[in-house]
Amino acid sequence: MKKITIDPVTRLEGHGKIEIFLNDKGEVENSYFQIPELRGFEKFCEGRLAEDMPQITQRICGVCPEAHHMAAAKTLDDLFHVDPPSPAKKLRELFYSAFYVTDHTTHFYILGGPDFVMGPDAPVAERNILGVVAKVGLELGGAVINTRMKNHHVIHMLGGRPVHPVFGLPGGVSKGINEEERKEVEQIAKDSVEFAQLSLKVFDDIVLKNKAYVDMIVSDAYTHQTYYMGLVDENNKINFYDGKLRVVDPDGKEFAKFSPHEYLEHVAEHVEPWTYIKFPFLKKIGWKGFVDGKDSGVFRVAPLARLNAADGMATPLAQEAYEKMYDTLGGKPVHHTLAMHWARLIELLYAAERMVELSQDPEITSTNFRTIPTATPDEGVGIVEAPRGTLIHHYFTDEKGVIKQANLIVATVNNAAALNMSVKKAAMALIKPGVEITEGLLNRIEMAWRPYDPCFGCATHVLPGGTPLPINVYNSKGKLIKRLA
Amino acid sequence: MKTLILGMGNPIMTDDGAGIWAARALQDKVNQEEVTVMETGIAGLNLLELLTGFDKAILIDAIQTREGKVGRVYRLKPEAFNDTRHAINPHGIDLSTALELGSRLGVSLPQEIILFAIEAADVDTFSENCTPEVAQAIPMATDMVMQELNGGSHA
Repeated sequence: MKKITIDPVTRLEGHGKIEIFLNDKGEVENSYFQIPELRGFEKFCEGRLAEDMPQITQRICGVCPEAHHMAAAKTLDDLFHVDPPSPAKKLRELFYSAFYVTDHTTHFYILGGPDFVMGPDAPVAERNILGVVAKVGLELGGAVINTRMKNHHVIHMLGGRPVHPVFGLPGGVSKGINEEERKEVEQIAKDSVEFAQLSLKVFDDIVLKNKAYVDMIVSDAYTHQTYYMGLVDENNKINFYDGKLRVVDPDGKEFAKFSPHEYLEHVAEHVEPWTYIKFPFLKKIGWKGFVDGKDSGVFRVAPLARLNAADGMATPLAQEAYEKMYDTLGGKPVHHTLAMHWARLIELLYAAERMVELSQDPEITSTNFRTIPTATPDEGVGIVEAPRGTLIHHYFTDEKGVIKQANLIVATVNNAAALNMSVKKAAMALIKPGVEITEGLLNRIEMAWRPYDPCFGCATHVLPGGTPLPINVYNSKGKLIKRLA
Repeated sequence: MKTLILGMGNPIMTDDGAGIWAARALQDKVNQEEVTVMETGIAGLNLLELLTGFDKAILIDAIQTREGKVGRVYRLKPEAFNDTRHAINPHGIDLSTALELGSRLGVSLPQEIILFAIEAADVDTFSENCTPEVAQAIPMATDMVMQELNGGSHA
């Protein structure tokens, strides 16, 4: 096969895309998963006041403004050397848990679920939320919308605005909640626990009771033995909002555990000629290419990675679900990418249970939710678990708090190497000489990236809405032979 | 009639912010109790939630059409986007799918939805300023929204 050099400028036009190159025999020679980089964002931030970062950074993503808002607020705590009072941390985590409920619900029912509910080979026109609702019933469809709406109400109540929150400040939050609001949140949280349990039952009925799906989940085409990273609390249980980053090796043994400030000692970035994206890898292992195994520094983030990197869930029902998943799939760690859908639902249950706990916490209605910073700002690092994985913000300022430099490592970038590997492996397993490349086949390749819930860029709201992710397949002459868009 | 004016887009992505800037300008102009002006950077299902409970919705967003003239403002109905439905959108669903889902689930959606779409030149560069043609189009879009609000349907 001829060597193909891809010019990053032309390659990066528009949005993300997948390109698959075949050899003379019609086998997959190589594939590329393009993630548009936030080019120019760091520059855009320079010279701005650090306090504006929770407002600015949440605009870079049309999917998870709350995660950027929260990471930025935590970075400001660190930058201004201020520790928020305990009620502030709890209010932030309550807000963040409600956000998780909405985001994980959306992914399962809108993005991940249709492949299973409708089947991987179902026509595109049916393989969507409308098809899902037609199949599982209006009642569940209504529950999906209702759960999202109620939790968005909580986000609005705490965050101060329906969409882009004005909540996180250095040293705490801008407002608290009163007893009446607390009660309302508690009820929504309890309803969300029920909804999460129902969702796990749906997964059980539709996916786990279907042998073909379980075989697909555990098949080699969708499996990679990698390192896993996620935030854990002092008991090594999953925490979305705070804690230390823990990394486990492909055998599930702890490889590293570190504070946000130490991340640069553990994570380095590899550069490839065909993309502006820098591929994070574990510094102490080194970059060995797009390969898995213990000798490769490739690690994964997102729900399954968090479950693998932790010793368990901090709430009882989620812990039960956690144990069931590992019992069913043969113990820890689970390397099957498609199991991320299951892990996501376990996290949905955890987020809802955590909301209940926090809404019942005596401190949650406290008015002590802000410590005014008094120290001189210099450098700050803030890390949260975005629904799609570890999100790192890192700012340097002058003594007046004006941004000199900002560095963001977003979850999808942390998963960039794994996304490329997953797409390539699925493509190699599915595209064979003599096998017709159908829409269903390409969808099965898409199913290799969909569990990661990758996030693409910023200008996602240009009408008519949404960012399609096309797949292009080229033959050995470089001719486009199949396109799914 | 409970009416929502919703500016959509990203105010730090050059022309993608056109809808947001228009909504912010309208915030100062509109002074009717029944009219709510909001902005959002999130589409899909979130949109469904924001529209719930209103009788009429006027959405303002940037658009990129094939060979479209930058700065042109279009008045559209949601049906114009019916053929955009697809399942592989990595993050959610498009407007027409969201509306259809809402109607199937019995969500109380506006009886009338009008879209004012501003043809954009650049939606990929980080900037809080629109390109000159789009910046000039924003007052035109807000005038059209005001006319729409005051009953002057030009369909």
